[in-house]
Amino acid sequence: MNSKKKRREITRREFLGRSAVGVTALGFSSALLNTLLLHTGCKPGAKAGDLILPEDVLKKAVELLMAKGADFGDVFVERAAFDMVMSDDRKINTSTTFEKGVGIRGVKEGKTFYAYTASFEPEEVYKTARFIADAAAQGQTGGEPMVLDLTRHTSDLSFPIVPHPDEVATEKKIDMIQDLTERAWSADSRVNQVSQYFQEFIRQTNIATSSGKIINQTLGRIMFYALAYMKDKDGNLQMGFDGRGAYAGMGFFKGENAFEVVVDKSIERARKLLEAADSPRGMFPVVIGPGGTGVLFHESCGHGMEADLVYKGSNFKDQLGKQTAAKGVTLIDDGTLPELPGSYAFDDEGTPSQRTVLVRDGIQENYLCDLIWAEKLGLKSTGSGRRQSFRHPPIPRMRNTFIDAGDIPPEDIIANTKRGIYVAQTGGGGQVDVITGNFMMGVGEAYLIENGKITSPIKGATLSGMGIKALNTIDMVGNDLVIFPGAGMCGKGQSVPTGFGMPTIRVRGIIVGGPGEAWEDVDGGVK
Amino acid sequence: MKQKKEYMDLSQYAVDQAIKAGADAADVFITDSETVQIEVSERAVEKVNATSDAGIGIRILKDQKMIFGSSNELSKNSIKEMVSDLMKKVPYHTADEFNVIYGKEYGVLERDWSSYTDLLSYDPKITEVPVEEKINRAISLEIAGLDYSPKIVGSMIAAYLDQASIFYLANSNGISGWYPTGVCGGYAQFSAAEGDDRQSGTKVQVGVKYDDFDPVKVGQEAAVNALRMLGAKPIKSCEMPMVVSPEIGVDLFGYIVGMLSADPVQKGKSLFAGKMGENVAAGLVTLIDDGKLKGGLATSPVDGEGVPRQTTPLIVDGVLKTYLYDCYNAKKGKTKSTGNRSRSSYQSFGGIGSTNLYLKPGNVMPGEIVAGIKDGFYLTVAFGLHAGINDVTGDFSIPVAGFKIENGQTTFPIRGVTIGGNLFDFLKSIDKIGDDLTWFQSTGCPTFSVENIKIGGA
Repeated sequence: MNSKKKRREITRREFLGRSAVGVTALGFSSALLNTLLLHTGCKPGAKAGDLILPEDVLKKAVELLMAKGADFGDVFVERAAFDMVMSDDRKINTSTTFEKGVGIRGVKEGKTFYAYTASFEPEEVYKTARFIADAAAQGQTGGEPMVLDLTRHTSDLSFPIVPHPDEVATEKKIDMIQDLTERAWSADSRVNQVSQYFQEFIRQTNIATSSGKIINQTLGRIMFYALAYMKDKDGNLQMGFDGRGAYAGMGFFKGENAFEVVVDKSIERARKLLEAADSPRGMFPVVIGPGGTGVLFHESCGHGMEADLVYKGSNFKDQLGKQTAAKGVTLIDDGTLPELPGSYAFDDEGTPSQRTVLVRDGIQENYLCDLIWAEKLGLKSTGSGRRQSFRHPPIPRMRNTFIDAGDIPPEDIIANTKRGIYVAQTGGGGQVDVITGNFMMGVGEAYLIENGKITSPIKGATLSGMGIKALNTIDMVGNDLVIFPGAGMCGKGQSVPTGFGMPTIRVRGIIVGGPGEAWEDVDGGVK
Repeated sequence: MKQKKEYMDLSQYAVDQAIKAGADAADVFITDSETVQIEVSERAVEKVNATSDAGIGIRILKDQKMIFGSSNELSKNSIKEMVSDLMKKVPYHTADEFNVIYGKEYGVLERDWSSYTDLLSYDPKITEVPVEEKINRAISLEIAGLDYSPKIVGSMIAAYLDQASIFYLANSNGISGWYPTGVCGGYAQFSAAEGDDRQSGTKVQVGVKYDDFDPVKVGQEAAVNALRMLGAKPIKSCEMPMVVSPEIGVDLFGYIVGMLSADPVQKGKSLFAGKMGENVAAGLVTLIDDGKLKGGLATSPVDGEGVPRQTTPLIVDGVLKTYLYDCYNAKKGKTKSTGNRSRSSYQSFGGIGSTNLYLKPGNVMPGEIVAGIKDGFYLTVAFGLHAGINDVTGDFSIPVAGFKIENGQTTFPIRGVTIGGNLFDFLKSIDKIGDDLTWFQSTGCPTFSVENIKIGGA
């Protein structure tokens, strides 16, 4: 099927090139994003580094918050705008959201008291600070009035937004999505539905802490994902998916991350699923390809290494210095990587971000800590205190989590596997029970491995098992590490963007679920 | 929680602004919520988050084009700015003849919405009880679990949560009103240990009435769910009959109803498309969506577009009778809205959603279902359904836990296996339905069994 409307073709390069030289005057851009960019000093000409609330208001709010004996606290100010262009059923629509507020946290003897106000009026902010000061006092009187010196902290890490969302007119974005939608529809006669989403998010946050820090950060997050539905003549229906996300501007979508690549990949995956046979089930070697598939270890192990869950008895509790993974396996959580969705200069309680080695050559070396849980575990914050928005107090979270590169060429891993499956893309998300370490993960694109070769596509597979067992049964680690800028969001009561990565690996102790025949590990399996 | 006249006025103001700016039609949804969330660990408070939140969502229709925007800034200036922003963008949208703002064509409620007390799921007590009492409830929930047995070694989550809201809706076709809604409940996850064996158990209870929430029961049931899994082991891959507990049944039907929504059906994303009037399930299956169910968690006078809620039998005696519709999909399908436009807050543009959904109970006692099975699996825990069920194809492969059934009795606990199959085949293989309809949040299900399931094991 072809679009009824005749459209002038516009390539992405031309589109970005035009926007960069300032076609904005010809088009309409989002007023809300525009306002936010002006305020945040992102735009040339605006005063760079302006705080959302004046420094003296932040200072007074923290002083009021600490006046009744709280151990520590912070004032978190945020404004954010979210624009989306979506295409579904060949209809293009947009939506816009604007949110602002001030979240105030008081911590006393490890207990957190939290409230927020949507108002930026100083009196409303002070009222909220007093309310939390009283709650944290827990009926006790006393506490010294605090006089606070605030110092601005800055970082060398930056996440430039190029071009700014307002430098590309909204109608250009709509045109682009329309072209990408038609690209998908015209790719295969079996396409029976296409959905695509392009999201831009600008978020400025200010943090003022009782330890005297002021942080001012602006992050621009950009996301594009594409879904393709295909139906064959026998009525079989399948959906293929691909997506990208980054802290950057639209200029990010080039090369491997081009919009067109994402769309084509969604089609290719749906096509393969239509041809796919049912996945076998049982426990046998699983070779997992590089990149976003690293979400498997985010889910199966990363959550169990978050300090709050460790303290409360996750299956990784009391494992520091002990072996939790096979020799040769190093697991890292890095919040400093350029553009990647889990990166930032400071976490949401003002601690600088860092690269945290969780497991080094099989030995558990650290956990992911925010301020509260670091203290309870006798560790230091790893800059992992994150919050979805001003509505939530920070909790320990992952950033960009990946297994580090080994030294085996990926083709050797496949060649050495007699019978198993190759997972090229996980899909549908996952879940973990951190007490037992039981996890599950959906699979998007996968193939059979037969006699050391990747052969036909399979469908309906899921991966499950126990986190520590999965890590301990990794028997080959490839040299082809890819950290993937996926469009993934991680939920733990609050939703935050996270990145995943991995080289090609082989793991022996994972249960493959699937509608096909039952298999056993022909090479002997796991002890 | 009190109704605020200024919010009703503000919603009307926003509608008027949209029309003044040239909109053909508009609707405005304001939500005002108070939330209390208390987390407990080691028998004391860990976190108290008590918040109130209000915001506005505006839908504008112009030349068959629809646009949506939302904000938590509730000033007239901000609303004016948002309307003008939306009006500038809407010309670039795709015209769609089925875009519609509700105009009373599927009926209206004659009185003020809030006066239909049988159609409200709201207990004023939720906002009247002081936070200190709620903290005590949360602590008693955790203690009930921790003290249940020496084998209970810790809690991962123990929490109390409530939310009270008032929804305000106004549109340019004369629909206007408000009603209160609220929920209250708690959840817990405990660890049980014996030797090297460690198992987890969870329990969630959310209801309408503050006094119906029993924190001690929730804590104890979570503890029991952990304890009874001690000693769990995998079994080998096989095929056998399966009994599904109500707790997992509601999850499965929650996915099935998503595929019965007219939106994916009309867009070719659901395999239920074209199956109207056909047998899609075993003859004893009747699935009902009831937006008017007295005391139901999802009961309300109207849906997110102002259409009165209804009772909609989706599958009757195994035959597909209707899909769930909102106004857009009803117009497109040349039928009536079933009152299923769901909007959870001002930020939500909305979509089709079920209300109080339940599988009609049969007349067998659950014990009799188990007693009739020589060699089978009793399903009590399913994991990561969102990743394990393909809601396009209906194929599923889900890690599960439960119990072995031997000679009509449950014997040892099982963990580390998966079940696999297809939801369409699954619906047709239901062979017994119990008389024990049990509600979990807004979905209800009795115990039921299927003839055969594929189990993937060690």
